[in-house]
Amino acid sequence: MIFLIEYNRSEGRIVTFRDFDDSQRKEAENSRLEIELDLNRKRVDHEVVLLDAASEDALRLTHRRYFEDLRQILEDKRGKGSIPDNNHRLTNGSS
Amino acid sequence: MFKMPVSKTQIDRLGDRLKGDSHTERDLRLLDDYRQSFGEAYEAVVQTIRQRGEFPTGRPAKSTASIAEKLRRESLRLSQMQDIAGCRIVVTDVVRQEQFVASLRTVFPGASVIDRRDNPSYGYRAIHIIAEISGKPVEIQVRTALQHLWAEVSEKSSDVLDPTIKYGGGPDEWRSFLTEISESVAAYENCEKSHSERLAASEKMAADCAEIKKLVAEHEHQLPDQKSQELRGRLEALTRKIANAEQKGRENLEALRRLRNDFCNLLTWAISLLDKRAKEQKQ
Repeated sequence: MIFLIEYNRSEGRIVTFRDFDDSQRKEAENSRLEIELDLNRKRVDHEVVLLDAASEDALRLTHRRYFEDLRQILEDKRGKGSIPDNNHRLTNGSS
Repeated sequence: MFKMPVSKTQIDRLGDRLKGDSHTERDLRLLDDYRQSFGEAYEAVVQTIRQRGEFPTGRPAKSTASIAEKLRRESLRLSQMQDIAGCRIVVTDVVRQEQFVASLRTVFPGASVIDRRDNPSYGYRAIHIIAEISGKPVEIQVRTALQHLWAEVSEKSSDVLDPTIKYGGGPDEWRSFLTEISESVAAYENCEKSHSERLAASEKMAADCAEIKKLVAEHEHQLPDQKSQELRGRLEALTRKIANAEQKGRENLEALRRLRNDFCNLLTWAISLLDKRAKEQKQ
């Protein structure tokens, strides 16, 4: 899937979010350019980007910054974490 | 519609103009054409990775804002920029990261590999592979979950706290936090890697041990005394080594748990700092 994101950096939030099928690449590219031209005319400084991902969930994992605030990014990992409490793969045979 | 090919000089002149604050519509369209010229190379790279069972998130074209910022920040010409098109893969851990990078080296033999783990860029640690297809570079970012977490925190902080944070600027305490957490991730991952290597060695020794035991059990009465003694000696030595490796493994796991706690404490501290900041802003 293709995702079009217009992101207000200083406020840390998404302004526009659209998804397209893989077959709609040209349409997605045109939309991205149109948004960018429009923002340029209005002198609005937003980031406009197209991203390809297997699903929206996959996109939310690799580009969390667009979807979560700073606290959420820090908080999510605090408890359940990327670092497992009991790393089963690493404990095999050695405990 | 047929479009005239754009020369390198025209691209670099466009890059010079993009360093300015305002952009003309013509320049934005020209930049868009240039970005789209990476489309085929990008597709080829992403397809190759998918065929290897990974599903990267692709960014077929870097955003105008990011291009302009990079041109202002670095003494780099637009035609030299290697990450106009790229994709990102987040893997579970450092062992998987190295396996995956090794497989990418095989499928893109001429690719350059930038390992930012030992020499981080303002705390950013990851491995980047620049594959070149028909003269067009495509950047593949391979991050572990922890390296990715650090990068997300750094980027989001740059968005909402201070745009210079990503490149070593910003408030002292936040910069120190990012440095410490990057070092904490490095320490954890180094420990994780050595533990994984030790585990693999231990498993190999256990397999050797089992083989010798089987040999002795099956042929005990047929083996000459000297051979039998030699095998028993090897068995004893291996058993000692395994016990030693298991002890080291337990110590390593304890070290991993300590590092995990340090890491979590750092995140907790950062959250409290954000809360304090929010409270101050309300007042």
